Amino acid sequence: MSTVADKPAAITSRFDPRYEITLYRHVGVDGAHTLEHYRARGGYRAAEKALTEMTPTQVIDEVKASGLRGRGGAGFPAGLKWSFMPPIDGRQRFIVCNADESEPGSFKDRYLMEDDPHQLIEGMLIAGWAIQATIGVLYVRGEYYVAYERMRDAIAEARAAGLLGRGVFATEPDGEGDEATPASPGFDFDIILHRGAGAYICGEETALMNSFEGLRANPRLKPPFPAQAGVYGLPTTINNVESFCSVVHIVERGGAWYASMGTDDSKGTKLYQLSGPVARPGVYEMPMGATFRELIYDLGGGPTEPAKALIPGGSSTPLLPWSDETLDLPMDYGTMARVGSMLGTGGVIVIPESQCMVDAMANVVRFYAHESCGKCTPCREGVATWLPKMYQKLLAGLGTRDDLTLMEEMVRNLRGTAFCPLADACAMPVAASFQHFRNEYEHLVDHGAPKYPTVSRWAE
Amino acid sequence: MKVVVDGVTLDLPPGTSAIDAVFAAGSDVPYFCSQPYMSPIGACRMCLAKVGAPRKDRDGSWILDEETGEPKIFWFPNLMATCTTAVMDGMVVDTRSEPVKAAQNGMVEFTLINHPLDCPVCDKGGACELQDRAYEYGEGVSRFVFDKRHQEKHHALSDLITLDRERCIHCKRCVRYFEEVPGDEVLDFIERGGHTYIGTLEEGLPSNFTGNITDICPVGALLDATSRFRGRNWEYHHTETTSLDDASGSAIVVDGRTGRIERIKAGHHPEINKTWIDDGTRFGHEYADAPDRVRRPLVRHDGRLVETDWADAMDYVAARLTEVNGRDVGIAIRADATLEEGVAARALADHIGTGQLDHAPRPAGGVIAAGGQARLEELAVAGAILVVGDVTEEVPIVDLRIKDALRGVTPPSLFDHGAPIADLRLKERAPRHAEILTVAAPLRVDLMRHAGRAAQYPAGGERAFFHALTALAEGETPADGDLGMPLEAATAAVDGLRKAETAVVVLGGWVLASLQATEAALHFCRAVGAKPMLLGPMANSYGLELVGVAPSHARYAYGGMLTGAKALILSQLDPAIDPAVAERLDKLELLVVHASFLTATAKLADVVLPAAIGYEKDGTVVNLEGRMLPVRAAPVDAGESRDLTGFVKAFGEAAGQRLEGRSVKSARRWLKKGLGVDLDALPEHGGWAPAKRGPARVAVAVHEAPAHGGALRVPTMVRAEVLDRNPHLRAATGGLALGLHPDDAAALKLRSGDEVTVPVAGVPRRLVVRPSEAVPAGLATVPATPDEPVGLVPIDLKQIALERRALEVA
Amino acid sequence: MDLPTLKPFFEDKPELLQEILDRYPPNGRRSALMPLMWEVQRAERHIGEARLHEIAEIVGVTVTEAKGVMSFYSTFHEHPVGRFHLQVCRTLSCKLAGGDELYRALVEETGLVSGETDAEGTFSLQNVECLGSCGTGPVLQVNDTYHERVTRTRLAELFAEMRAGREPVPTRERGGDNVSADKAERVDAPDGTSVDAPDGTSVDAPDGTSDEEGGVA
Repeated sequence: MSTVADKPAAITSRFDPRYEITLYRHVGVDGAHTLEHYRARGGYRAAEKALTEMTPTQVIDEVKASGLRGRGGAGFPAGLKWSFMPPIDGRQRFIVCNADESEPGSFKDRYLMEDDPHQLIEGMLIAGWAIQATIGVLYVRGEYYVAYERMRDAIAEARAAGLLGRGVFATEPDGEGDEATPASPGFDFDIILHRGAGAYICGEETALMNSFEGLRANPRLKPPFPAQAGVYGLPTTINNVESFCSVVHIVERGGAWYASMGTDDSKGTKLYQLSGPVARPGVYEMPMGATFRELIYDLGGGPTEPAKALIPGGSSTPLLPWSDETLDLPMDYGTMARVGSMLGTGGVIVIPESQCMVDAMANVVRFYAHESCGKCTPCREGVATWLPKMYQKLLAGLGTRDDLTLMEEMVRNLRGTAFCPLADACAMPVAASFQHFRNEYEHLVDHGAPKYPTVSRWAE
Repeated sequence: MKVVVDGVTLDLPPGTSAIDAVFAAGSDVPYFCSQPYMSPIGACRMCLAKVGAPRKDRDGSWILDEETGEPKIFWFPNLMATCTTAVMDGMVVDTRSEPVKAAQNGMVEFTLINHPLDCPVCDKGGACELQDRAYEYGEGVSRFVFDKRHQEKHHALSDLITLDRERCIHCKRCVRYFEEVPGDEVLDFIERGGHTYIGTLEEGLPSNFTGNITDICPVGALLDATSRFRGRNWEYHHTETTSLDDASGSAIVVDGRTGRIERIKAGHHPEINKTWIDDGTRFGHEYADAPDRVRRPLVRHDGRLVETDWADAMDYVAARLTEVNGRDVGIAIRADATLEEGVAARALADHIGTGQLDHAPRPAGGVIAAGGQARLEELAVAGAILVVGDVTEEVPIVDLRIKDALRGVTPPSLFDHGAPIADLRLKERAPRHAEILTVAAPLRVDLMRHAGRAAQYPAGGERAFFHALTALAEGETPADGDLGMPLEAATAAVDGLRKAETAVVVLGGWVLASLQATEAALHFCRAVGAKPMLLGPMANSYGLELVGVAPSHARYAYGGMLTGAKALILSQLDPAIDPAVAERLDKLELLVVHASFLTATAKLADVVLPAAIGYEKDGTVVNLEGRMLPVRAAPVDAGESRDLTGFVKAFGEAAGQRLEGRSVKSARRWLKKGLGVDLDALPEHGGWAPAKRGPARVAVAVHEAPAHGGALRVPTMVRAEVLDRNPHLRAATGGLALGLHPDDAAALKLRSGDEVTVPVAGVPRRLVVRPSEAVPAGLATVPATPDEPVGLVPIDLKQIALERRALEVA
Repeated sequence: MDLPTLKPFFEDKPELLQEILDRYPPNGRRSALMPLMWEVQRAERHIGEARLHEIAEIVGVTVTEAKGVMSFYSTFHEHPVGRFHLQVCRTLSCKLAGGDELYRALVEETGLVSGETDAEGTFSLQNVECLGSCGTGPVLQVNDTYHERVTRTRLAELFAEMRAGREPVPTRERGGDNVSADKAERVDAPDGTSVDAPDGTSVDAPDGTSDEEGGVA
């Protein structure tokens, strides 16, 4: 087993012969956000294939065969979700893209939208065809203004080019006699671009729908699920930006190609995000099941200072202590669940040794406290009120051992009792921090000062 | 479906919520956000329970537990909120195990961390859901050592409702209520997360149904301002009775303390008002304790009214009546008198020997009790509704039941524990089917906001409106302008009524004011197969018609007796507000007035007898559906006030006669004999009145003058005649309004808020100018009272006198 | 605050208003609530009560509901923010890159604390939560523009621009695969062999282009 320091220096996955870049082909390339650039490199061929050569069912089957699991965090099989749509009954159907990327540690969708907006449009177009939804809704978080502008301009370009609007890929009758292909009316599809205004809860699918409808973004009761009653109470399917982008390549190259990558329960490639004190933080596209070590060392260049923990998939996922065993874990859904955490959005945050864990968790808790919608009691009173106050007390050096017991009990009371997963998202990392780093909490309450005093990491 | 709750096996219909299963099994879980007749939302997380269900194998058979051989129960990984969980066949619910207790305990702790626990000074103390649940399910100690959230504690949401934001536990009942029940979204959460609070930007909560939020608030956050700091809940005596405020027959609970009414809450009548009442009914009780209440009989001596007792006063009345020919005596009672009082009035008339007997206000023609009317339950499920009138003001509960129909959810069936705690069919922001509703009125009325079609016909044009609709229904082209809406809209309305399985036409006071309009309306109902719903003018209009408190001849009707009779006995009526009538009354040989206040008429009387008001009576009323409902007296100190049965008893004693109707009991004997109804055995939720069969007295059509004039007397939710004695309601409404089109107001140089006096049908009215786009140009609206019933009347705007200018708004 | 004479915001913008309303299906008029609020806020740096009334009326909801919606979202402002609204992310990844120090520097520089606007209306400061720039922290959002990897030096440059009354132009910071092949640094491949990346000679960019990096519009 090699030690941490032995690991090779950083490189982007584009250079690494082990990886093939698909989703991020155009990201980072200047001017890639234009239709001209995208089409010149085969853009919209997948959509044309889906709309002109495949039935909606065939598209869904292909996505099912690919094994694609939703990339927004929950990892629900995308093809299966699409097949939940009720039979066509004349009601308007919606395909919604959740581009409210707000989970701390996640920043992949932003670059996809900024640098490759047409890939997302194409993915939504294919998904719209698959579930026979003629209206797409793209809900972009309010802070992503560049992404919003890029998507707005790209949608306008696509409309002007007939790739959105009435009769997409309509064909004239061609040839004569037996050779003739009949005219196709094409597919009517357009996208409503909607901008959020700063609410993490909108990443929850039903809260997003409420927000889109001009309501307070409280999560809705499920059932009914979006397939039965989503946007405006009509049949709706909702996916993450990365999921839609993946669909483009699944259709283009086949579900089997996609399924050939990854692990047993996690197929294809994934955009892993790396942040914290590492040499090359950023987004890296790797096949599912790549290890933390590959991400953090081979591509990320390794930590710039000794690390003690990593958060595997955005701040809501329980942290894992830094060890060789952890670093060699494959980053896939099953493995993460097995070690008591989650793959989440694949946003890996490295926590350095010198960072007080209580302080770090106080930061995480503050985030969820700020973002609690206030609908249900445990989240409003526990997550948004009590827990952050407890952390303030600890960090002020006023905590006691009893407070630690109280916090652990409170976290237990938050687990599985709230209306939506936000309270769990706050409780789980806190619970994990108690599990692995209780000594730091104890040090703080016993000494009235943290084990690791604050250090400045701000670059001059 | 078979459901097992804590070992108790139940058979429940599909769609039942698990929380109702729990209560049906006699178990208990705490809850704050669920509320009968409103959507379950699962927000408070108090009703968590361990829930499991068997699963079927691929072959359709149950997966069996290897040890027991019974279907294996698969428990949900998390505790479930029972209010949002539907029962499944074979479901098992456990409310008593340790994890459930721990969760309930934890939720109580969370709920209480920001709650001030100021129960000793809280009006809700002793009747507080949070207090009770904290006691039952909490630990009794708080581990929260920080400052609680500090927010406004005395925020006047309106003149009627005070909000204490610190006490709020964010159950969202009030916000959901406004959206789901009246559809007036005037209250909402502001901010989010731990900063969330209830607030409004709508000044004064513009809705006729705001008070219900004080009933459903599980804590002391929303309080009835009329009763704030007046008493503790355990001191109140609760009297379940029927509101006499309008013809709906809404169930109310009168809370009294030391002989005074402190507040009124909604009662529960599942087929009438469910658990809702309008603000007029709720807050309009203060007049009962007004300082100028007449509490003892008064007899005129040397031109002055002097206090005396009932025996003395009645001796005087009996003696004086012998001086008048019985036929020349007129007896008129107000239309909110009970059935028993009606019997008493009849007995009195029979004894005196007069045919001059009537109740007022009374629509022409005796149609109210004619039978065949729609029931409120039918209205609530109707597939097409036409409303002609302003039901939101006239009988507000009808407005709410129409909104039930718009939501398209049938009324729930009841459990032993009452209406479902969580009716899973109800949803937040459920779409409303506005297309089933057509609303017509001579001005823009509130219900039009919810209507698919709105018609504004010319004032007084009710008859023409129905003639035009009937013409449409019969395939003819109606006259232009009578419909007040485009022809296509009217056609759609008529088609909707004709095609709907249940179609209801609601006829308000403007229609019933005219016999011809009423007949035209009933003709139209028959033409399209719709059931009419007649909004009787007052609480017992139906019952008094049924009992036959009516004149023996048209000229003996109330209007006629005011000019023709030589002696008058008037109960709760005040015709002397009209100076011309007052002049005539002054010349009567005898004027006996049974009244609660020293009204203009009472001031002219020879004898004034203190009258019990609705909260102080025992008896029965028949609501607009024809349902007999019990009226029960609250223990209130009203001096020597009596209702008409008491009046007749005292009169009989003075005259040496035992008259029928001398007591509730005696009146009921007569009713059993005369109508075949046993009111002593009235079921809890009332019983149906018998169809009117050839009554001894015929309610004769009053002479109908063609409606004309520039003022439309409009129904008001608040009782206009006592508004000045209801200070909270007066403040909330800003007084009785003279509605004018803004252009007309400008032409008269009047501003909103100006206080004016203006003669309306000869009666000088003191009103507050309220310019409104809802009023058509050229028309003025004035509030109706029992003595000035709804309808079109003359107004002399040239004689308008400015009493007080409104403050200039900078 | 809002004078009664205030001209309705959308009065002279009928095309814009119609365009926004037309984005949504007929049964979804209420969806226009947030876009209309954005228009007002971008123009007036806050959404005053008069505007809220106007918007509520346009979409057909009560002003209470409009307020409920507006107050739910953290980027809608009830009171005017400064010409340069400084939003500093202090969530975990940015914190680990110096977000807290950046905030303190901003406090020092502007004399404001989070939630305040200066008397001149030039600067306002707000702590915000994760802006989705975790790989390029700390991030400072000025109005709608992200400035990433804000060092002490960079911050001084930004303030020099802003104090001169100019919107600072962001330099696009990238990391990981966000840097296209032709921009990559010279690095060692995992097998230890050297890869010559910057001039693009030994590794072809997947798309075969070599566009120049530039600022974000």
